[in-house]
Parts: sequence; structure tokens; C-alpha cells
Amino acid sequence: MGGYAGKILYIDLTSGTIETKPLDLEFAREYIGGLGFGAKIYLDLIKDRPGFDSLSADNPFILMTGPLTGIRMNAVARWTVCSKSPLTGLWGECNIGGFFGAELKFAGYDGIVIIGKADKPTYIYIDNDTVEIRDAQKYWGTDVYTVNDEIIADHKEKSRKSGQVLTIGPAGENLVRFASIINNKGHAAGRTGMGAVWGAKKLKAIFVRGTGRLKVACPERLDSLRTELKGLYDGNITIEGLRFFGTASHMDIGIISGDIPIKNWHQTDWELFEEIAPIAYGEKILTGKRTCYACGVACKREAEVREGPFKFDKGPGPEYETIATFGTMCLNSSMESIGKANDICNRYGMDTITCGSTIAFAIECFENGMITEEDTDGLKLSWGNSEAIVAMAEKIGKKEGFGSILSEGSTRAAEQIGGNASDFLTTVKGLEAPMHDPRSAHGYGLAYAVSPRGACHNASLNFPIESGGMYLPEIPELADEINGMSSTGKAKLNSACQDFGMFFSSCAIFCNLGAMILNATQAVDMVNHVTGFDYTIKEVMRLGRRIWYLKRGLSNLFGARAEHDRLPERLLTPMETGPTQESVPDIDLMLKEFYELRGFNDDGVPKKEILENLGLSDLAELLYKGQ
Amino acid sequence: MGLFESSEKFEEMLGGFFRQVSDTPNVADKLLASNLIIRFTYSDPDIVIVIDCSGDKIDVRPGDTETKAEVDMSMSAEIAHKFWFGKVNLMAALTRRQMVAKGPIPKILKLLPAIKPAYTMYPKYLEENGYSEYNIY
Repeated sequence: MGGYAGKILYIDLTSGTIETKPLDLEFAREYIGGLGFGAKIYLDLIKDRPGFDSLSADNPFILMTGPLTGIRMNAVARWTVCSKSPLTGLWGECNIGGFFGAELKFAGYDGIVIIGKADKPTYIYIDNDTVEIRDAQKYWGTDVYTVNDEIIADHKEKSRKSGQVLTIGPAGENLVRFASIINNKGHAAGRTGMGAVWGAKKLKAIFVRGTGRLKVACPERLDSLRTELKGLYDGNITIEGLRFFGTASHMDIGIISGDIPIKNWHQTDWELFEEIAPIAYGEKILTGKRTCYACGVACKREAEVREGPFKFDKGPGPEYETIATFGTMCLNSSMESIGKANDICNRYGMDTITCGSTIAFAIECFENGMITEEDTDGLKLSWGNSEAIVAMAEKIGKKEGFGSILSEGSTRAAEQIGGNASDFLTTVKGLEAPMHDPRSAHGYGLAYAVSPRGACHNASLNFPIESGGMYLPEIPELADEINGMSSTGKAKLNSACQDFGMFFSSCAIFCNLGAMILNATQAVDMVNHVTGFDYTIKEVMRLGRRIWYLKRGLSNLFGARAEHDRLPERLLTPMETGPTQESVPDIDLMLKEFYELRGFNDDGVPKKEILENLGLSDLAELLYKGQ
Repeated sequence: MGLFESSEKFEEMLGGFFRQVSDTPNVADKLLASNLIIRFTYSDPDIVIVIDCSGDKIDVRPGDTETKAEVDMSMSAEIAHKFWFGKVNLMAALTRRQMVAKGPIPKILKLLPAIKPAYTMYPKYLEENGYSEYNIY
């Protein structure tokens, strides 16, 4: 068996027991890795008692790598986490880059399953075969950057690798519902509040050091593919864009197509846009580039502001999503303040998409007189007030004053603010929409609506496919020309993007950015050469489909129904001018077609026979108990 | 047979548009700052237009196949026409090789914000210069 480390760690924080189980090869073939492993193991753990609070000891947390994690190829350093989301109350998951996944596999583990809850601040120490639950009292209360450095320093051993740290910051400890978990200071499991799950478990960090090596089943074939792909990567405009500008490169492309939400999704253009576009980023705050394990694309940025109100030390720089949420969404033209807000989110451990979007939502409430400076602890939360935006981000991390209300996410904050505050929401299933406008590509709207974790551009391959960055001609549903501003055929497109996407970016696990230029054959070949399996495109689509239904079913089990598969009104309001003028997704048409195609009942739950045919009888039984 | 009946017609139309763009200060300043010489090679009908930003003023030269260009852009006339209406998904066109860009990619990407104002100029240019039959806006 190649690619896999061969063992999974099971840790019970309540009892303090640690167990290692071998990875079953048949299971590996059927569920591939990453969220395939995670969702299946999660279901098995909770199926006898599915009703529990996300912040209770009953909520398992699962971290899983894929067969490619740790292999020396571009764009495969990724790994995943999953649990019930404190933000949405539904299925929660994240896909993360960085170095932790690779290091975990070098230590000999494909993943970690964590159950229970510690009675005091705790961290997990993994050094190859040595695994211990240790006291984290001294690290509790410290920010992500500090605890990362301290744990590395505390475990430094002469002539040995320094290891990797995965940690929460004060936001996770404070149970901010969109708290993140962060590796190496800037690689975040950001969405759906996985950091709060750790905070509730009193789990501060995991340290891992691994000195083993991963086997590749067919090294010559992998070398040959590596050579083929080198030709593809060199000089490719998408890859060069990522190398030169990072994910911020999307700013210049997205503004042309009307993809970038501006002023809480009210506008698609803004006269100050260039102040925070990629060239300005480079001139104002950029200090260098960073990368994930073994990836030559190096799309991560490093930034610094040396003086002024937004001063911050050199560290991970803001990504596209962060620039949009704290910048365009808030009409904030200060690049330095966006860098600072990013620094705060990293240090406290918070999702920048939900944090920035929630602040943009609050600004709209403020501008409409629904909250005043009395409510916001004296902050004038108006459009473009950079100081107030940054100050509010910090208040959220501390759960202080009005920040405490926003720390619950925008949906709960709207309930607290009352009136017509919910009109300003841009959430699906309680998750704030990412910075890609469905009015520019209608299929995004369906992708957001039916995603098991809520509005998400990475829940399937719909975004890279419909945006045009990815092309998979071998999959018939994805081979045709795509008209973004049309809702026709988008149900079929989304289904295929979900099926192949589960394989590609949830299980294998490829990076949706750095591996965007691969076709389906190259992706499947890479997994086969590494594992020694003989997957076909058709087979990975079938396996991916089952994993997608499994995740959808888990959200159904936690209460998601058809009424939650809706887009917020704001995203369905036509623009009067600009590139998306009068373009609105026909969400009713797309949902109708999608429900038929996927075999959902009127409640938005997959029909029993569909689940049974996919080999998900246990899930069917849970969803149709007593029927 | 493509959208345009002759190479002369397409060259005259697009060349005129490029000249108008070159005379627009907020666009021209940014293009000149790039210092690039860009060759556009179109097919169906086949024409070549060089935009030379290496001097004090932008020089638009239809038919110039001799000058060594730092950036080469190739596409069909139809894709080019739709592009200036903002009706081409740029990412998809590049991925599916309907547009091929050769040269220093970072410099090419830096041109994107510079040409953004030109999208609104194109339909107006067609209307005002006797090409309204091609206006698909």
C-alpha cells in the first residue's frame, strides 16, 4: 500500500485513553481519504446518539489526511477536519494546507479521531510512536503565533526536526462560533468554527513530529507524471498569477466579471478598488512569499506594516477572501488595515470570511440606525472606517462588548439586533457566503444552497469549473462551454462537480488552486501511482457521489431541510449596472432540477432507496427511523 | 466565415478602437507604465496589431509582423470582439486555450486593471464610428 501511513489514532480526552488502529485497505479504497474517511468514521461514532450539542463532549472531532498528503508533488499538501459545526449546528468541515498533514503522516498516522472532553487545558503530543495527552495550562490564553513558537521551543531537541503545531487561539478558547484552528501561524481550518469545538474540549494544540517516510506504490510512473506536469506548470498563466500575486490575483479577474461582493453585496464596482488590488498589496504590505509542504506554486503571502495605527509584525499576509471581506465588503480602502485585521484573525484564531462578513453586516445595521455607537462600545461602525473595523475584529476575538454579539456569527447577531437586520444577511444555513457572487455565475448559487456545510465555494468543484479556471474535458457534464449568467443546466453541472470534487479536493486531497490546471486523468493517475489502486474516473465519481450523500445526510440528520437550501435575498437582488446587470440566479429552477437529479424528497432529504443503492443503509435507517 | 466579412474591416475597426483607448489618459498612463510591446494575432479573419507602449506615446501598428514583441496574445476575432464587450470568461478562455498569452505573465496580469475602463468604451466606440451592426451589448 502506498501513500497511506497505515494507522489512525483514536484519542478519548475524557478518559485519557489513546489507541492506534490499523487503516483497513478495503476501507481506504472505498473512502479514499480526507473527508471520505472523516465522514464515515464520524457517522459510525454518532449513529447511536445523533442528538447532541456541537460544544459538548459528545461531538467527535476528526482530522484526516489523504493518500497524497506528504507526497512531494505540487498542490497536494492538504488535509481535512470535520465535526458538527458550532456556527451552523450542521455538518462542519475544513480543508487546510500547510505542513501539519505531511508531518502527521511522517509520524505514522493518516488521521486522528478525538472524542470526549478534557477537564483542564490539554494538548496532544505526538513524536512518532510516542503519543501523550499533556497539560496545556501554560499555553491557555496565548495567541496562535505565541503558542506556536512556544510549543516548538519547548519541544526542541538537538539534531531533530522542529515539528509542527496545530493550535487554537483565544477565540477558540472563548468559544467564538467561527473560531479556527491554525497550523504554522497562517494555514487555517477556518470555516464552520472547528476552533470552538477544540475550545469546548479544552484542547489547545496538537504537536507532531514525524521522521518516517511515505511509500509510493509506482515511483517510476509518478516520476513520469511529475515530468509531464512540470511542462504544464511552467509558464501557465493561472499558476504564474498565483505565484506572483497569490490568491489576490483573483481581484483583477473577479472585478471584470462582477464576482467580487462590494458593500455587503450591494455593488460590483467601487472607485477605490485599486487601493486594495494586487499591485497595491505588493506596494503597501507585501514582504515575501510562503508555501505549503513541497508545493512549488507558493501562493501564500507574507506581509508587514512597520508603523502607524495598523502596525503588525511580519507574518502571513491576507488571502483574496480576507481582502474582500475586510476590504470591498466594508468599503475599506486601507490595505494596511486589512493586513492588520488578518493578523488579528490569525492570532486570535478566527475565520476571516465570517469575521469580515459579519462586520460588514453590522456596518449595514449601523448605517441604517439599527445599532448606534452606544451599542458598539463607542465605535463608529460606518462604511470604510478602517480603525473601527480593526477594533471590532479584536473585540470579537476577545468576546468583548458588542464583539460578543458578533462572535456568534451574523445569523445569531441579526436575531439579537432584531428589526429587519436579517435582510442584510448573506448566509446559507448560517454560514456566511464566500466572496464569489452567484449573480456572475448562477451555478455558484446552487452550490451555496445545497452545500452540506452552508454557503461554500469549496464544497464542490463548481467554483473552479464555472469560473473557468479548471477544465475537465473527460467528464461529459463538464466539457461543454459554460454560460455563467444562465441557470440552465447548472443542476447537472453541480452534481458532476460534487461527485468529482469529493474525490479531488475532499478525499485525495488536491488543492483547488495549485492543482486547478490538472485534468481528471492526471488527477486520478497521480492517486493510482501513489496508492497502487486502479481507480478509473468513473469509479472515483461513484465513490465521490457516495461521500457527498454521506455529508448531505449528516447535515440532514442534524436538522437541515429543504427550507435551508435557500439563497439570501441579497444575493438574488439584481444589480442595476455593471457586468452582472439584471443577472439573477433562478434558484427555484436549479433546485427543482437538482432535487430530481439527486433523488431528494420534498424535505430535501435523499430518498431512502437512493441511499441504500449507494451502500449507505445505516444513514438511510437513521434518516427514516420509524418510517 | 467568421463574424467579420474581411480582415480590412476588422483591422480598421479594432485598430481604431485601440487608438481611442490609447488616447484615453487614465488607460494610456497605465499602459505606458508597463513599457511593453504587445502583439495581438487574430484569426478568422487573420490580422496582426502591435501596441507599442515602449515610447512616450502609445503606437498602434496594424500589420506589424516585424517588431519583436515582449507579449504575444493570440485568439480568434470573434473571441476578441466578445472580450471587449466583457462577454468572455477570461479564465475559461485562457484555460481552454481560446486565448493564448505568451510572455512575462506578471506583466500581462498587471495590464488587466489598466484595460478595465475600455470595456465600457467599446460599445460606445462601435456606435459612434459606424460599426453599430457589430454591437452585441
